[in-house]
Amino acid sequence: MLVPLMKYPLLKIAALSALSLSSLAASDNAGVDFFERKVRPLLVERCFECHSTEKKIKGGLSLDSQEGWHKGGDTGPALVPNEVDKSLMIEAVRYKNRDLQMPPKQKLSAEEVRILEDWVKSGAPDPRVAVKAAKKQQGLSVAAGRKFWCYAPVKEEAAPVVKNTSWPRSAIDGFLLAKMEAVNRSPAPDATPEVLARRLYFTLSGLPPTPEELQAFLLRFKQDRLTATSELVDTLLASPRFGETWGRHWLDVARFAESSGGGRTLLFKDAWRFRDYVVSAFNADLPFDQFIREQLAGDLLPSENASERRRKLTATAFLALGPTNYEEQDKQLLRFDVIDEQLETVGRAFLGQTIGCARCHDHKFDPIPQKDYYALAGIFASTRTLFNYTDNVARWISTPLPAEAAQQEEAVKLDEERLAALRKELETAQAELRVASASLTAAGTSAVAGTAIPVAQLSGIVLDDSDAKIVGEWKHSTSVRSFIGKGYLSDNNTGKGEKTVTFSPLIPKTARYEVRLAYTHAPGRAKNVRVNILHADGEDTVFVDQTEVPPIDGRFVSLGKYRFESEGAGYVMVSNEGTANFVTVDALQLLEEGAPALKGEDFADNKAAADSKKRVRELDAAIKKAIKEGARRETAMAVEDDLHAADTQIRIRGVERQRGETIPRGFLQVALQGEAPPISGSASGRLQLAEWIASAQNPLTARVQVNRIWNWLFGAGIVRSVDNFGTTGDAPSHPELLDYLARRFVQEGWSVKKLIREIVLSRAWQQAVTPGDASDPENALFAHANRRRLSAEQLRDALLWIGGNLDTSLGGPNIKGAGDVDANNGSAQNIEYAYVFEDNRRGVYTPAFRNKRLELFEVFDFGNINQPMGQRNTSTVAPQSLYLLNHPFVAEQARLTAARTFAQNDNNDARLTRAFTQILGRPPRPAERLSCQRFLASATSPPEESWQQLHQMLFCSIDFRYIE
Amino acid sequence: MNTSLFTRRSALQTLGCGFGQLALAGIAAEQLARAEVGPVSAKEPHHQPRAKRIIFLFMQGGVSHVDSFDHKPLLEREDGRMLDFADLRSLAKTGKSPQQRVMKPLWDFAQHGQSGLWASNLFPEMAQHMDDLCVIRSMHTEGIAHGPATLFLHTGSTNFVRPSMGAWISYGLGAENESLPSFVTISPSLGNGGPRNYGNAFLPAVYQGTSIGRAGVPAKDATIGNLRSPRSPEEARRQFDLLKELNADQLRQKPGETELEAVLSSYELAWKMQDSAPAVLGMDGESPETLALYGIGEKATDNFGRQCLLARRLCESGVRFIQVNYGDNTNNPAWDQHSNLKKHGEHAKAVDRPVAGLLADLKQRGLLEDTIVWWGGEFGRTPYAEKNGTGRDHNPAGFSIWLAGGGFKKGIAYGETDEYGHHAVVDKVHMHDLHATLLHALGLNHEALTYRYAGRNFRLTDVHGRVVDDLFA
Repeated sequence: MLVPLMKYPLLKIAALSALSLSSLAASDNAGVDFFERKVRPLLVERCFECHSTEKKIKGGLSLDSQEGWHKGGDTGPALVPNEVDKSLMIEAVRYKNRDLQMPPKQKLSAEEVRILEDWVKSGAPDPRVAVKAAKKQQGLSVAAGRKFWCYAPVKEEAAPVVKNTSWPRSAIDGFLLAKMEAVNRSPAPDATPEVLARRLYFTLSGLPPTPEELQAFLLRFKQDRLTATSELVDTLLASPRFGETWGRHWLDVARFAESSGGGRTLLFKDAWRFRDYVVSAFNADLPFDQFIREQLAGDLLPSENASERRRKLTATAFLALGPTNYEEQDKQLLRFDVIDEQLETVGRAFLGQTIGCARCHDHKFDPIPQKDYYALAGIFASTRTLFNYTDNVARWISTPLPAEAAQQEEAVKLDEERLAALRKELETAQAELRVASASLTAAGTSAVAGTAIPVAQLSGIVLDDSDAKIVGEWKHSTSVRSFIGKGYLSDNNTGKGEKTVTFSPLIPKTARYEVRLAYTHAPGRAKNVRVNILHADGEDTVFVDQTEVPPIDGRFVSLGKYRFESEGAGYVMVSNEGTANFVTVDALQLLEEGAPALKGEDFADNKAAADSKKRVRELDAAIKKAIKEGARRETAMAVEDDLHAADTQIRIRGVERQRGETIPRGFLQVALQGEAPPISGSASGRLQLAEWIASAQNPLTARVQVNRIWNWLFGAGIVRSVDNFGTTGDAPSHPELLDYLARRFVQEGWSVKKLIREIVLSRAWQQAVTPGDASDPENALFAHANRRRLSAEQLRDALLWIGGNLDTSLGGPNIKGAGDVDANNGSAQNIEYAYVFEDNRRGVYTPAFRNKRLELFEVFDFGNINQPMGQRNTSTVAPQSLYLLNHPFVAEQARLTAARTFAQNDNNDARLTRAFTQILGRPPRPAERLSCQRFLASATSPPEESWQQLHQMLFCSIDFRYIE
Repeated sequence: MNTSLFTRRSALQTLGCGFGQLALAGIAAEQLARAEVGPVSAKEPHHQPRAKRIIFLFMQGGVSHVDSFDHKPLLEREDGRMLDFADLRSLAKTGKSPQQRVMKPLWDFAQHGQSGLWASNLFPEMAQHMDDLCVIRSMHTEGIAHGPATLFLHTGSTNFVRPSMGAWISYGLGAENESLPSFVTISPSLGNGGPRNYGNAFLPAVYQGTSIGRAGVPAKDATIGNLRSPRSPEEARRQFDLLKELNADQLRQKPGETELEAVLSSYELAWKMQDSAPAVLGMDGESPETLALYGIGEKATDNFGRQCLLARRLCESGVRFIQVNYGDNTNNPAWDQHSNLKKHGEHAKAVDRPVAGLLADLKQRGLLEDTIVWWGGEFGRTPYAEKNGTGRDHNPAGFSIWLAGGGFKKGIAYGETDEYGHHAVVDKVHMHDLHATLLHALGLNHEALTYRYAGRNFRLTDVHGRVVDDLFA
């Protein structure tokens, strides 16, 4: 037992008095003699390597002095003299507790353990005195930290005076130009209107301009460049494409995904609602402070109507979308891992802080003491993110959403009540049936082989194959006549490993059930059909040999007895994985343990039993019908406050079970301006956390956000390390500009659109890309525009868009077959594994699985969505080139584009101009034109094909892959 | 590794064609974001290496060590007795551990070769190679369920998102062959961590593992994506020439852009790979004897045999870390016999001959000298029966793996589990220790192989791990 001493003051007193005893004992020659002969050599030999001042002091414990073991390590005193069973050191060497085994490499011999026990029993006499070693001070103190730039209050900054007064168009330009002038640099020339248009379109809408849009802009630009540009900016900001593009940036920060990945990946069936929430927040220009509050504590905020409530509940999915390993068996550890992930994400997303570093010890560099970590952890420990802490495979909370309209809500409520009433009735009827049929015994069926049995004639819970969730193509069949219900399913001996049938029985009451599977046997059937049973106590796999006659009545095989819970997530999944022959699935039967298995004919002599049996069936059918036809209650992934809000303890060295001091819930001290919002005893503190982060006084929030926006616009931040504002990150290149923007952002009501507008209309943003200057290779001065690679989505969407093939429908779910599968259902996982990406909607809607990515995303640096990411990496690897050269997707878009270019223009020169304008946003240069003409002239294949090749090579060219 | 002092551009200019060097300099991810270029060239190790590469034969699901390489006669004698075992799963869930029924091994053990090492007849062919093996019988690890334990095996963490061991090795050593990836995984599972098991996490993407095929797809169809042009060789050449001209002209408009030059050379590399990679991935030039050695052409062993032979071919072509997976995409993969332990026999049949064939083949080609073969699963299995009494549960507290070649001792068994084979007790080797030891063998110091990310230096072994020197010859 690793109990923090503070909680047990009595123990502490005992330990102290024992110390005086041991001092007495120390003067006892026999005791010291025993120590010197037996104990000291043992400690030197087996413990000092890791627990001595000379070598290492692991876990804070030194065993080279009496003081050392008396003070003990991180988990408290190593020894309690005279108390063998209370001494951690003895527990450790006994090797019974897997979390505490010393020495770690090899157990002591029984004799050695006895020596230590005897020593402790005799009061642990120990004549050694401590040699002092200075403790190293690490990281920045909170007081010193307040002076570090990112924790200091945001300053009021005015644009500086510059020499070249004709260049700046706005305050932003002034800040940038002043720095350039200070080192005798001047800004780059303005970008050409063609380049500016392509840059604006890609940046704000994620898509290139069409040749017509480009033409229109160039015309207006000629008349009035400033008006033309600001009008175009306004148009692009008002388009729904804006929210899709900029929402995507935030989804990166929110490590948005639609499955959990990690160990056992679970499908997040409702995650799309969060994605839609983000897209519409950007489109509606929801004030960013409100956007923060909703994501952290939307469930705790007041709402004026159902639609607002829906939005706010949905927003909290931000906290639940992490790559959680729900399968972790130690659920308290899992709970803590979830909290850790939330803290790390919140820290990086909103504050640009690496809070996770303080889980095990004070932050080694930044002014974040371990106490701060646990002050914040207390807030999330008082928040529920997991449905429970008992499921074998845990899951998140599916929060019911109020219906959009009052009428609809009425209907849903009525249906819910009706269903609850039916379930209650069913329970009563089943109890009656048990009583009435107590005298009956189970008998074998008399149903003749080769006949169909209606589901209604079987007792217990019976699901026909038509009630199951199927994945992959199964053939419905009735060719073998011995079946239950409406026929049976066959995998047709194809698509091995891709097909499953999952039964999710409605469990009326928590009990043990015998699980039986019906199949049709034949010599040509599979011998090793894998059946997975997920029950309340875990998961089992049974293999069924379908060449054998089913042992029970020639219909069923028993899969064993398992416990199922009435609100649990049980299922039985039949898979064709690993089979080499036909797999069939007919029905599933669950019989409660102890309840007699009855069939229709058994009820002939027992009117009461027959009646209640009939009633049970009717109710069963009514429930199924109600579920199928009733108004559906929509759900969202969301978190909620725990019923028991409480402060949490420091975990020593981050080990969940090693608890230290209890820390009152709170925030990062170093970033606190004035008093912290008080957290009342019963509240989690999440609302106060949201208020603290979303406050104009918080020195980090607005700075981090404007820097992100700047980074997404310029391809580099004023602070280059966009997710890390701490001491290990980069300092701002233009601190005054950063503060100016942060203040401005807040003053303008945290409007993202206004900020973007101001930046893209600056002259600085509209500079051309130039080679720059050797003295500033990283372009820290922003003295020219940065060339930027198309992101994975920009590449995909642009290909589809240019090919005339992009489906621009907005929002909504987009995972084929996900429907309303249960979170924890094995078949949901198969949806991910067997998924074929084929929709042509924008990339922001592409199913964002963690274990199976769209190939293009994976190849173009968007494979990993496990961590918050304010800036994606850009790699240059051969698989990208192989993809563009050889993947059918690229070839297909090239074919479609070529077909249109070809049809709409009647000579090769016009066609080339069109192709280049469409793909690169400019006409061909003479050299390019020449190359293309030579290519076309030397073609031996039909023109459609050469034109397709030509278009595809344009897609491969660097001018397509980069934004100037 | 120090944080680099030079900037991205100057580094690119200084290093010329060795683009990969830049990433290897250990620049923080934040700074590197726009700079990452490949391919990765070879890099100096920290110390004199004993081996150049690793082939990891991953037995997904957890092989029972007490039925294969850890001989415990007591299990025979006490078969059926109900005893107190500290069952990790029960303890994690409930804090208590009910009594469990001892289950004897289903396969007979015998001593083999000069070394007299024990092995059961579950793997009769591997047993012929005991004199070449370095069996570690005192492995222990983290994670009771497959997901956490599999991630731990690959990344050193049960839950946090961390780079895979192969990615760390690529990062530390670079590639021997620039036209092939330095980290390859053959037929990986989508489940139990899926791509995270060969992912680069926060390391630059050039270090992620390249998958060849995936679990459930026959090995004969396994390949690297997009290697084949849909066009005829002449047309492919013609269009590639057009691309080169277009790109050359476009680059002329913006001279001195190293990143764009890197894009151009990645096209050249891709073009070369279209020729060279299929040759490595195919079976061309393998003699009938070699195919037979791996069991290729025989129903039970064909699939895994092809995977093992491919591993050898990749190893000859200079790939640093080759993982060969025996598993599937389910939650209870391959070796996971909670019930019907007999099924271990089928799996053994599928892998035994190919693995033994691989060892023999590497040896006869002299490759075993500088190649480490690592065979094992994410954990072992309990010495007691589970529920219905015909199988065994997971056991991360004690299990066996073996290493061969690469400077490890031959014909020895290291460490011990307790008398039932449940918990490792003597010369315990934690998975972190194994990671540290394998890195050491490749010339990498696990404490020095770090990467700065999100404000701190990360390691494969976190703050743990020790090199088990006793294992080296």
